[in-house]
Amino acid sequence: MLEIRNLHVSIAGKPILKGIDLSLRPGEVHAIMGPNGSGKSTLAQVLAGREGYEISAGSVRYLGRDLLPLPPEERARAGLFLAFQYPLEIPGVANAQLLRTALNGQRRARGEAEIDAFDFLEFVQDKLALLGMDESFLYRAVNEGFSGGEKKRNEILQMAVLAPRLAILDETDSGLDIDALHVVARGVNSLRSNERAILLVTHYQRLLNFIEPDRVHVLAGGRIVRSGGPGLALELEAKGYAWLADAQTVAQTVAEEASP
Amino acid sequence: MIALAAYRDALSRIEAPPGLAALRRTHLRKFLQAGLPDRQHEDWRYTSLAHLEHMPLHAPLAPTPALLALEAYPGELRAWLDDRPVQQDVPPSAVLGALADVIGAGALPAFGSLAPDSALARLNAALWREGASLRVPAGERLARPVFLRFAAAAADAMLHPRVFVHLAEGAEAILVEHFLGDPGIAYWQNPVTEIALEAGARLTHLRLIEEGPLATHTGLTAVRQERDSRYQALNLTLGGRVTRHELGVTLAGPGAEARLDGVFIADARNSAEQHVRVVHQAPHGTSRTLYRGLADGRGRGVFDARAEVQPHADGSDARQSSRNLLLSPQAEIDVKPQLVIHADDIQCSHGATVGSLDEDALFYLRSRGIDTAGARQLLLEAFVEEALGLLDAAGLRGWLMPRLLASLPRARTVEVRP
Amino acid sequence: MSNPDLQQQIEREYRWGFVTDIEQEPFPQGLDEAVIRRISAQKGEPAFLLEWRLKAYRHWLTLREPTWATVTHPPIDYQGIQYYAAPRSGNRPKSLAEVDPQLLATYEKLGIPLQEREALAGIAVDAVFDSVSVATTFKDKLETLGILFCSFSEAVREHPELVRQYLGSVVPYSDNYFACLNAAVFSDGSFVYVPKGVRCPMELSTYFRINASNTGQFERTLVIADVGASVSYLEGCTAPRRDENQLHAAVVELIALKDARIKYSTVQNWYPGDAEGQGGIYNFVTKRGDCRGERAHISWTQVETGSAITWKYPGCILRGDGSVGEFYSVALTHHRQQADTGSKMIHIGRDTRSTIVSKGISAGHGSNAYRGLVKVLAGAEGARNHTRCDSLLMGPDCAAHTYPYIEVKNPSARVEHEASASRIGEDQLFYLRSRGLGEEDAINLIVNGFCKEVFKELPMEFAVEAQKLLAVSLEGAVG
Repeated sequence: MLEIRNLHVSIAGKPILKGIDLSLRPGEVHAIMGPNGSGKSTLAQVLAGREGYEISAGSVRYLGRDLLPLPPEERARAGLFLAFQYPLEIPGVANAQLLRTALNGQRRARGEAEIDAFDFLEFVQDKLALLGMDESFLYRAVNEGFSGGEKKRNEILQMAVLAPRLAILDETDSGLDIDALHVVARGVNSLRSNERAILLVTHYQRLLNFIEPDRVHVLAGGRIVRSGGPGLALELEAKGYAWLADAQTVAQTVAEEASP
Repeated sequence: MIALAAYRDALSRIEAPPGLAALRRTHLRKFLQAGLPDRQHEDWRYTSLAHLEHMPLHAPLAPTPALLALEAYPGELRAWLDDRPVQQDVPPSAVLGALADVIGAGALPAFGSLAPDSALARLNAALWREGASLRVPAGERLARPVFLRFAAAAADAMLHPRVFVHLAEGAEAILVEHFLGDPGIAYWQNPVTEIALEAGARLTHLRLIEEGPLATHTGLTAVRQERDSRYQALNLTLGGRVTRHELGVTLAGPGAEARLDGVFIADARNSAEQHVRVVHQAPHGTSRTLYRGLADGRGRGVFDARAEVQPHADGSDARQSSRNLLLSPQAEIDVKPQLVIHADDIQCSHGATVGSLDEDALFYLRSRGIDTAGARQLLLEAFVEEALGLLDAAGLRGWLMPRLLASLPRARTVEVRP
Repeated sequence: MSNPDLQQQIEREYRWGFVTDIEQEPFPQGLDEAVIRRISAQKGEPAFLLEWRLKAYRHWLTLREPTWATVTHPPIDYQGIQYYAAPRSGNRPKSLAEVDPQLLATYEKLGIPLQEREALAGIAVDAVFDSVSVATTFKDKLETLGILFCSFSEAVREHPELVRQYLGSVVPYSDNYFACLNAAVFSDGSFVYVPKGVRCPMELSTYFRINASNTGQFERTLVIADVGASVSYLEGCTAPRRDENQLHAAVVELIALKDARIKYSTVQNWYPGDAEGQGGIYNFVTKRGDCRGERAHISWTQVETGSAITWKYPGCILRGDGSVGEFYSVALTHHRQQADTGSKMIHIGRDTRSTIVSKGISAGHGSNAYRGLVKVLAGAEGARNHTRCDSLLMGPDCAAHTYPYIEVKNPSARVEHEASASRIGEDQLFYLRSRGLGEEDAINLIVNGFCKEVFKELPMEFAVEAQKLLAVSLEGAVG
């Protein structure tokens, strides 16, 4: 589904990602962990099509297409979804308006009929219930005045409505208390399916207690320095990231582990 | 209409520095052609200087005996009485001296180029006398604040103090200008201060207008800031019949930062006007303008501020805040907070309020046993405190606060609680 | 934005740019007393009105064009303008059947429901074509309620006492240069009178259309809501694309008596000129409401997307105790358009309240200025004003200015002013695009969100139209 090969990315001439290789198949959940500044969020943003990054080498293929030339909206319409680490506030634009516009954009792109306001409401109601959100959420301006937890839940609501093929969750767990984390994890787990791949980007192992990944990758210094099963996350939790200090050398020896 | 003879006479009494004589004449001619600004002019819609045309204005003829006792200043002091230097704490130095001497010894390149071509700035340029020059060499930091004290003692005198400040790269200083005069006489102070800050220089500038109740003060401060320099100002208007201060700051180099705070109090029949112009010329400049105004009695307070972002000054960040209290039914506050923007990658905002003391807060304090006057005083102090953030770092709180607190409008009725 | 067919784009930008080929009553260019007498005679006006026009004209000769607005334009040749242009169908048509079919077709194209059978929309329309009101719908129905809704000329003939009482009582002929010119030469306009206690059951609407070339349009609108009455009035404007600039100097006066309520909405879409600033309407308009009685309420809503230059400051004189004034505005300038607009709220009565919400959008080389005055006089005990004034900038060459004046003479008043200026956030754009919205859709969504506080004040049909207009006007604004 997603094939990243030797991806090099820099910002204003400063290299951030220095050769990422990663592949995801439908139905898989992968976690990318790493210390602050390791390039995790950059990877998420590049996959979603954020401008301002220089891609100096490498390729990304998504569902058999070259992903990199596509503008963000086409990626979204092709089923790629990024849950933002810091969801944006859009004053005056109601949540429902955003959701329906986005959903209909996707449906148009697939050649399907647009959904009307009535059907949309019905459609969105169970998603709200799943995330323990009140219907009034729909009529509030996008993320405006939302608490941190509400914003993150709103991201998952959008994900549930848009039903992506590939979902990238960028630090969705950060800033959440344990109850909110439960709710978010329940939402994400309910979206796991054989058709869908999920990429979790996180600093902490905590989220992985609730959403068990198939593979865990450790990103440090712009490279994936280790890959393994769910156990790797626990190891990181126990040892911290400090032992990755000699990551560059480790990277060579564990490179073969990275490809399944 | 204007007293041509008085202005010409004043010019004829000025000798120094000789190189400026022709320039002074040109300035005076242009001033006389334009005359005093009147209310037809947009920037003068709230101010009338018509009374000046009816005063027997004159240049102070001879040094008058020092009527005003010199109080203690916590720093290095230069004092003028009626535009003439009086007492000197220390002999002139390369850093701090008479402007006429400095220009006489060799031109200051930026002198006269920072102030705008306004009528009153021209008048000052024609008629200033010794003046003051503060020049801090690159990388130096003045240990003590410099105080410049401009006092008036002669009735109907017109005074044109002139100050030039140059901080070379990375230099740091604290400057205080203090304007005051004999409370029993009418006079007119028309000072101009030019400030050039080179890259990375930092100036903290406190300007205190404490003129007598019959005085007119039309002051101008013009600042030009180079790359990454920082200008922090606190402008206080505590006394004077008609006072007006124009502050113009140009962020000429990238990353320059200006913080412009002020407090003005217009009581009795006074009018106190603040005009602030910040021009973002270079990218990534930051300006913060924060003024607090009080009008009591039949006083009128005016706050007119403009932040201008010129084309290509991307990343500019300009914010203004103006809060004002009206304390009497005959007082007036006029506010004109403007934004003029010619670039799109910017963040600009302003907020302005005019209102009265918060009745709920007053009630709350009174319910805790504080009388109305005391409660009012507390709230006024808190209100002006928001603009006094510079005082502590500059070590000037102890000097200023008694003056400021003494100027706060008193409650007219004092309620006695059992 | 990459656009392969720029020409097509520009064509799309102003959809209302067609010219209707209708014979015009000839009238000489230029202005003198004879022209004014002739306008007055043509309309069969009573002597008081001619006198008023002449007084205005003589006063106008002593005035100079104002220069304080942040707009620039070549000098206007007031002698090069034709001050009156009427479609040649003789006298005013008695019914729609008598209206020139070409004219009806024009309004059809504009989407204006002149035909009463289309009245399901529930809007009564007065249509002003160049200088003359051509048709008013629903007149009879409104008359059964005692509501007068007709062309200004008709009001002068049928209800001269009302016209005499109220004309110039809010905007005197001497008010300003353009209002003074209007008083001298105004040709037609709309007139509304809602009697005591009557709530007008439908939206009243006027559509203004400039068609003839070299013509100025000087209409005058007078809306009076008597004690306890209420009315909602809509105004729309379009003009053909022409290379020269045309002058539109209208005056609107609103009078709300005790407990009356007037809501006045404008969607202004005069031809804005082309991308290089060639052509377009000079829209120099004076609009003012007078809350003459206690608890009177006047609300202005405007969406200004057209005109080469917009110069207008709809205001309220809050005379009656407890009266309320509101101003909600969206002004968009693109290409070389210039707007200098805002509001004046004059608080005279006790406990008067006013609200100003202004949203300016500047794109291309557009320049947008908010200019406002909030004045609280000494007697306005307990007055309240809140002003919110936001600018959205799109592109490095546009400009946004705010010039608020706040003058307060009463200590119990509370006046609050907030303003901000920023560009559309790249982060916001990316967020929406990552949800599958195209760049233009994302911009439109953000712009509509930015304007929402104003749009919600518009009647439903107009709100939809306004959103579309904004989207059309911003086409090509981001690249």
